[in-house]
Parts: sequence; C-alpha cells; structure tokens
Amino acid sequence: MEIPYIVEPRKDTGLNNSKIGIWLFLASEVMLFGGLFSGYIFLRIYADYPWPERTLPVLPGLINTFVLIGSSITVVFAWVSLKLRQWRKFQIYMAITIICAALFMVLKGVEYKAKFAHQAIRLDDYTVIEGHAHPQGGSHDHHAPKKNLNFTAESLQIDLRRVDDIYFETMGKQYTEGGFVLADNVTLSNDEVLEKGSAITKALIDTAKEDFLTAVANNSSIDIDLGRQAWKDMKAKYPGVKYYEKAEGDKTLNEVTSAYLKDLKAKRADYLAATPALTFVPSSGSATITINPYWGKLSHPKEGAKGNLRLKDQTVIFGITADSSIILAVDGIDFRHTVMKADEKGIDPVTVVANSWLLKDEGMNAIWEKHKVVTAKLAEVLKEKDRKPSQNDIYRINWQEIVAFQRIEKEGLKVEDLSHEEIMAYFPGDLEGFAGPSHKTVHYPEITVPREQVRFESVFSPRWNTYYATYFTITGLHGLHVIAGALVLGYYLFFGRKMYNENPEWLANRVEIGGLFWHFVDLVWIFLFPILYLM
Amino acid sequence: MADSPEEIKKHIKLYLLIGITLFVCTVLTVAVAKFEFLDFGERGFDGVDATIGLLIATFKATLVALIFMHLNHEKKLIYGVFGLGIVLGFCLLAITAFAFSDPIHYEAFFGR
Repeated sequence: MEIPYIVEPRKDTGLNNSKIGIWLFLASEVMLFGGLFSGYIFLRIYADYPWPERTLPVLPGLINTFVLIGSSITVVFAWVSLKLRQWRKFQIYMAITIICAALFMVLKGVEYKAKFAHQAIRLDDYTVIEGHAHPQGGSHDHHAPKKNLNFTAESLQIDLRRVDDIYFETMGKQYTEGGFVLADNVTLSNDEVLEKGSAITKALIDTAKEDFLTAVANNSSIDIDLGRQAWKDMKAKYPGVKYYEKAEGDKTLNEVTSAYLKDLKAKRADYLAATPALTFVPSSGSATITINPYWGKLSHPKEGAKGNLRLKDQTVIFGITADSSIILAVDGIDFRHTVMKADEKGIDPVTVVANSWLLKDEGMNAIWEKHKVVTAKLAEVLKEKDRKPSQNDIYRINWQEIVAFQRIEKEGLKVEDLSHEEIMAYFPGDLEGFAGPSHKTVHYPEITVPREQVRFESVFSPRWNTYYATYFTITGLHGLHVIAGALVLGYYLFFGRKMYNENPEWLANRVEIGGLFWHFVDLVWIFLFPILYLM
Repeated sequence: MADSPEEIKKHIKLYLLIGITLFVCTVLTVAVAKFEFLDFGERGFDGVDATIGLLIATFKATLVALIFMHLNHEKKLIYGVFGLGIVLGFCLLAITAFAFSDPIHYEAFFGR
C-alpha cells in the first residue's frame, strides 16, 4: 500500500505528510536538546566548584562549525539540484555533505582521544593539577600501570556473599603468584573440611560459596519461624513491655529476645553453620598486590601505613600500603578551588596558596613565581584600560604559559626582564595545541604525587566533573545525530537513482526532509560551540 | 513545498549569501571571546560575553531556520508544531528552575 500525500499536499493542511512528520520530530528534538542545555545552565549556575571556563581548545570546534555550516549549504544545493533535475550535481553536493559529516566525526574523535589521555588530580587542599600520568616506579614501558594502588598483603579475606567472578579471575593470577593459602581449617555446613594450607583457587572459593549460600537459604526460613516464636514467647513473658523498654535488669526487651533467639537457633539441629568469609595468607608471609585504582580503596593511603585495601566486591586485603604515587607531567595548575574553599572559611587565599603542598616542590614553585610576575605585568597593562585580571588570570596556569616559560628560559632570558607583550609572543599558537597540550613535542615538568595527597583523580572524562559529564553527553548525543543523518543522506545518494527515475519529485521531497534534519543538527551545534567552547 | 524550479533558481544566490554570513558570524563569535578589545564587560567570561555570544548564535540559528529550513514561507501548522516544541522546551527549563526554589531548602519550611 502506498503512503498517501507524500508528494502532493493534503487539501486540509496544504502540506505533504512527510513535512508534518519531520517537523513534529524536530519539535521533540528541540525539547530533548533544550532539556540538556537547561541542565547544563543550572549545573553551571549552582556549581560548588570553579567552572572550567574556556579550557577546551577552540580550533577543533571552530573547524567543526565551518564543516557543519558548509554541509548545510551543500545539502540545500543537493535538494536544489534534484528540483532542477540535475542528477550529477545532486550526487556531488550530497557526497560533499557526507564527507563533511565524516570529517566532523573524525575531529570529534581526535578531541575525545586527547581528553581521555589527559589526567587531572585534585589534591587534598583542592589544588588541581593537570597533565599526563607516567608509568609508576619510573618504568619506561608505556603500557605499565600509571595509577595503580599497590599493597604489601599479609592476609586476604574473601567475602563469600559478595565475591565477584570477574574481580576474582582478574586478581587470581596475583593471588597464585603470591602463594596465598587457606589460613586455617574451615568446616563447611555439610561437614566437609577445607584444609589449612589449601591453595586459593576458583574451585575452592566456589565450593565454599555454594555451601554458604545453601546454608543461608536453609537458615532463612528457620530464622523467620524462630524469630516469630521468640517474639511471641517474650511478649507473653513480658506483656505490655515495648521493645526498647527494660525487661530484665538493664537489658531491653530487644536484647533479651535476641539472646533467647540465639539459644533457640543453637538447639535446632537443622540450623546450619554458615561460613561467610574465607581468610588466606601468603605462604611466604607477604605478597605484592597491585590493582586498578577504580577497583578498590586504601584505608590508609600513606606509604608504609598499616591498613587494608578493600575491593568493590568486599574482598579485604590486610597489610601495609606500598608506594602508590602518581607521577604527573604537569601542563596545568589551578588554585581557584583552593581559593574558593579559603574564602568560604574566611582565610586569606594568598596565604593558603603560598602554603599549599604543590608549591613545596621546587619546580612547581618556580612556575608559580614566574606566573605571579606575568600576572603583575598583566595587571599594569589592564590598569591603563581600567580593568583588572580575572580569577582565571591570577590563579590558573595553562599549558601555554608553561611552554612560554620554557622557551624564555631556553633563550637565556628572564620573565622579569620582559614586557607583557614580549612574554605573550612566546605563547604557542592554536595550531601547536590543536587538541590540547602535546606531551610528544614538549617535556613538561614532572611531580610525584603521593597517594595521600590525592583527593580525587580522573582523566578528562564524564567522571571528572559535571562540566565534562555534560560536555560528553551533549556532544556525544549530537555526534550520534550526525551519524544517523549521514546514514539517511547516504541512503539517498547511493540508492536514490531508481526513485529518481520513477518519481523525481518524491526523491526531492525525501531529500528535503533529510535536509531539514541535517539543518537541525547544524542548529544544535551553532549553540553548542559557543556555550561549551567559548563560555 | 510547492517551489517551482524558476523560484528555486532565484534563491541560489541567497543560499550562498546566507552561508557566507554564517561563516562570518562564526568568526565574530570566536573573536568576541578571544580578543581583549572586543571584551565589553569585565575581563574574562561574564554576563555580557554570554549575552553577545548567545545573540550571535540566535541570529545564526534564525538564518538557518528561516532560509535553509524554508520557515520564512511555511504553512501556519508548521509554525504551530515547531513553536510548541520551543514552548515546551522552555517549560523544561522552567521546571528545572523551579526545583531550585523547592521550600525544603528553607529552615522555616519545617516549622518550629
């Protein structure tokens, strides 16, 4: 059955159905992106941390804007060509549109890749440092871990209720290499004995886990019956007494009933003893454990401190924290959050910054001192125009400034001896840091951040802060729309010939509808680019 | 749309002109954000920069909507459908705004 009114308009609306359909869809898309934009606005207005203003490299976004505007023009001309029955021109314009879409996605991919490689650390005093993490322990192997939590294990406790297969399988090699064995004999509810000294294996864990879960399942129905009986008996023995009131001496009714229930359970022969956890010890006395930092948490992050490492499946490793520091090649320093916290507490921010942990490092302090000189020179220049340096100018050091300092030093000059304009001449241009600071062409100063100084760390991903969460959500969703639009337009390009021969006006209408969606995608980017990149 | 080929031919130059205008406005948006002499409010990002940036973006969006998407000579029904989407979009913004006025934030809400 042919769909009616897809070429000739309906008499009542004066429009064809496709046109009404696409505008209805675009109205829903306005609401979708409008909701996301409004979420961004409120996250920004009410943020409890300094918002990352103008920290994204502008050039990729600018090129993408030109690419999308160009593709909007070519998709209109593709429609015009169809209306004028110029098939060859249609093919050329539509091909350019799709190439523009591909170029847009490639640039987006370049941007995303640069962000996922870029590391940020919020220190304990809220100072933020950015850069690239280097392999731990000074290793030259680029695939070696960069942020792992390292631990010297003295014992290991597996929670049989929560132990996760994936965690265990990944950690299993370390457990085997560490020579972990069962610390003591364990008698299961079915009277099977797991012998002390048994090696830690998945089969052993699975046996114990199955026994534990069977015992728990058996006991749960008994628990309910015995619980009811215990409360019934105690309420009969102490009528009118509430559970929180004293029943026997100093004990509340709740405490008395719990003790009674325990006795009842002990008298039940079919109540099974459930072993909830297994403890293992390394046969040599200690073993090294290293884990991905997002898999667990150190109770005492300071190197040499006695504590535990708790994995997310509640496996607990007891022992001593080993060196888990992060070596960061620093390309950005931001004291704005430290200053914000100092202001909240009514402390002088200048003093707080001067006493920050970061500035105890000679290299970082040298950069900060040079930055203060640059800010002072900037203040002099702005004073003539009745303006002042912003919070960003005073408390944030970008990668361009660090590169400029290196170039000035390389020429044997001093920042103090140059004017502000001369210093700015050493700043790298937009092309040099196309998708952000390049650690391949520039050697940034390194600092070793001990784990106890790390309040929070992340690469520049949605995890880092709400700005990046929104950035990736909106641009990611927009990117998916670009791909979908390109697929639809590609269909018309590669499979439209037959329709063009049979009913060219129908194809022209379809391309117009596809073009409307494409223009909408361009519309969203027209707002996205300034809001995310320039504000 | 019932554009005839003759009418469409007349619009070709207009499409090109609008495209060039969009490119120029994009460069202007970046210039306003980047250059000191075009920073009209306080130094750095402030409300003035946001207003100028959004005004330029709205102008560009209007050009795309009116000319490329043919909204300048569409039927009233289409204006109604699209307008409804924009109105409901603003309603979503308003709902989020009202959430910040939730009285649970105020001590007095809980009484004495």
